[in-house]
Amino acid sequence: MAKAKEQLVQDPPAAESTNLPPAAASVVGLSKHFGKTSVLENITFDVAEGEVLVLLGASGSGKTTILRIIAGLEQPLKGRVILHGKDVTDLPARERGVGVIFQSYALFPKMTVEKNVGYGLRIRKRRRKEIRETVKELLSLVQLEEHRKKYPSQLSGGQQQRVAIARTLAYKPEVLLFDEPFGALDTQTRSHLRREIRALLKKVRVPAIFITHDQEEALELGDRVALVNQGHIEQIGTPYEIYTHPATEYVATFLGAANILEATVRNDVLEVGSSQIPATLDRSKFRDGDCVKIVFRPEDVSLCRSDLLRPGQIRISTASIEEIAFVGAYERIRLRLERGADECRTDETAYLLTTETPERAKAIIATRPKPEATATRLQVGERVVVSINSFTVLEPR
Amino acid sequence: MSTVAPTMRHVRGFDVARPLSIGMLVFMMLPLVFLPLASIFIFGTSNGLDKFWAALMAPEAVFALKLSMATSFWATVFNVIFGLFAAYVLSRYNFWGRNALIVTISLPTAIPTAVAGFALLLLWGPYGTLGRLLAPHGIQVMFTAGAIILANIFVTFPLAFGVIKPVFDTMSRSLEEASATIGATRWQTFWHVTLPSLRGAIVSGALLTFARAVGEFGSTILVSGNLAGKTQTAPLYIFAKFNEGQIEAANAIAIVLALFSFLIFSVLFFARDWLDVD
Repeated sequence: MAKAKEQLVQDPPAAESTNLPPAAASVVGLSKHFGKTSVLENITFDVAEGEVLVLLGASGSGKTTILRIIAGLEQPLKGRVILHGKDVTDLPARERGVGVIFQSYALFPKMTVEKNVGYGLRIRKRRRKEIRETVKELLSLVQLEEHRKKYPSQLSGGQQQRVAIARTLAYKPEVLLFDEPFGALDTQTRSHLRREIRALLKKVRVPAIFITHDQEEALELGDRVALVNQGHIEQIGTPYEIYTHPATEYVATFLGAANILEATVRNDVLEVGSSQIPATLDRSKFRDGDCVKIVFRPEDVSLCRSDLLRPGQIRISTASIEEIAFVGAYERIRLRLERGADECRTDETAYLLTTETPERAKAIIATRPKPEATATRLQVGERVVVSINSFTVLEPR
Repeated sequence: MSTVAPTMRHVRGFDVARPLSIGMLVFMMLPLVFLPLASIFIFGTSNGLDKFWAALMAPEAVFALKLSMATSFWATVFNVIFGLFAAYVLSRYNFWGRNALIVTISLPTAIPTAVAGFALLLLWGPYGTLGRLLAPHGIQVMFTAGAIILANIFVTFPLAFGVIKPVFDTMSRSLEEASATIGATRWQTFWHVTLPSLRGAIVSGALLTFARAVGEFGSTILVSGNLAGKTQTAPLYIFAKFNEGQIEAANAIAIVLALFSFLIFSVLFFARDWLDVD
């Protein structure tokens, strides 16, 4: 135990020489200021060989600045950028060997597709034959052989995107950096291209860092997702981890709709209004009487007409249905929790809020898949029992 | 058919405003542009083509045309390179006094050409600020072909810059950043990425500069000394021959210059699409 701890404390380059797998790219303690405002504070993360890491965050969160610092297009105030064990913090962009796919694709407008893809090799003075073969190989990889003589303006957005990827793959970059690569595309092309790029990245095994503000994209593309908020990383983990076990309220609400209830810690239960939820809590973090927030997703909510709950379901309260909306694959129901006379505990009752309707506190959102929605039709105004299947307790700040 | 401008008056499906306004436009241009141009050609060819040809082939005429082309060429080369450089610096870097520099570069277009020539004389002339220092060494700048080039540079200074700078301004920085991350040096980026995007602007800037320089009169007459066969450019030749009463001689060169500018602006107009092809 003590040994393992010692290893973790060591600085990253030394840690690589031990049994930890070497990181393809690491960023250690990046900080950056623009004037007096701090845009990045102590950003640290690793990307393993062949891994896809997604930096997810709202616009202005600083995620693009992280990417630009890794690429060498901007200098950090503090911190190091290490690519395959080599500290590149002080190297100019052109000596870093990173591949950047810009949001605008940044294809050279006066060069054909072929010339664009071969550019990296041409400026490296490779032999013509080698260039021709590599370009051919890459164009077939991104399935654009028949467009090789065209100019970028003659291609669709998705095709331009693929040219941009081929262009960076040509010189075998140490790491691929995608700056909001699907920002300018329509929804259909987006999801199509997303799958394509994911498959492509698995094939070429180049580690990649993606930037996006789209949570669905982040969850689908990333082996791991780092949520960036106001210049720091809120949480980093696999898509499953951060979706099901958000560490903070920001993470919970940024990754799709989340219901948040306040609860009080009492022994081994959480009290939400008059309901008691059994929970095994880390007693070092939670004490009796602590006010904590519990988070659950709309799809974790079950609605029943009776109090007969299935095993695993935790009863929260009764509620009346305020609104039912059909949104394609599922049905979204807004409920208002009731405080029955028997449940009411004066002002200590649950304080509820949701992200989707912050102004309408005490409403929660539930979703039901279509089969369930058709099997049990609910009406607006109906009274139902609300229970949840799973939830996460946020640590008190 | 159904989508016509609601304010237009139609008489049985016949749009009156259209032929009327086009006719009006042409009619207004007639005495202002068409007729003066036409009269050069009418007069120049009225005495027969052989007379026209003889006037054109007079040694002094040929010399004047050659001198005009040569001096305009060098002024154009200088101003395009300078304009490119100035546009790069002024659109890439933000510094104190940047706007003042932009205004100063653009100023020569607003200065009367006679004033420009006069100013050059005051600087480089035998008694000028710099000329006085050079004269004892036997270096004379004014009243030479070099003086004509200097005058051409001065009056066409902002033309190429004015065409190139907007292209620089609108050029996406990410193109150059992409080139840098791919591994190109600054020079490679400029050569392979920046310059090709400027091709259209450079060509049209150069043509504009050249056309303007060939026609320059006001400043040239002051700085060149107007010596036939030595420092007499084509426009000066026209003026001199006209003063001597040799209308045919003046007219022959006038035709060449008119055709020449017509050619340049046709190229500018029709080549734009080709030059800007993406």
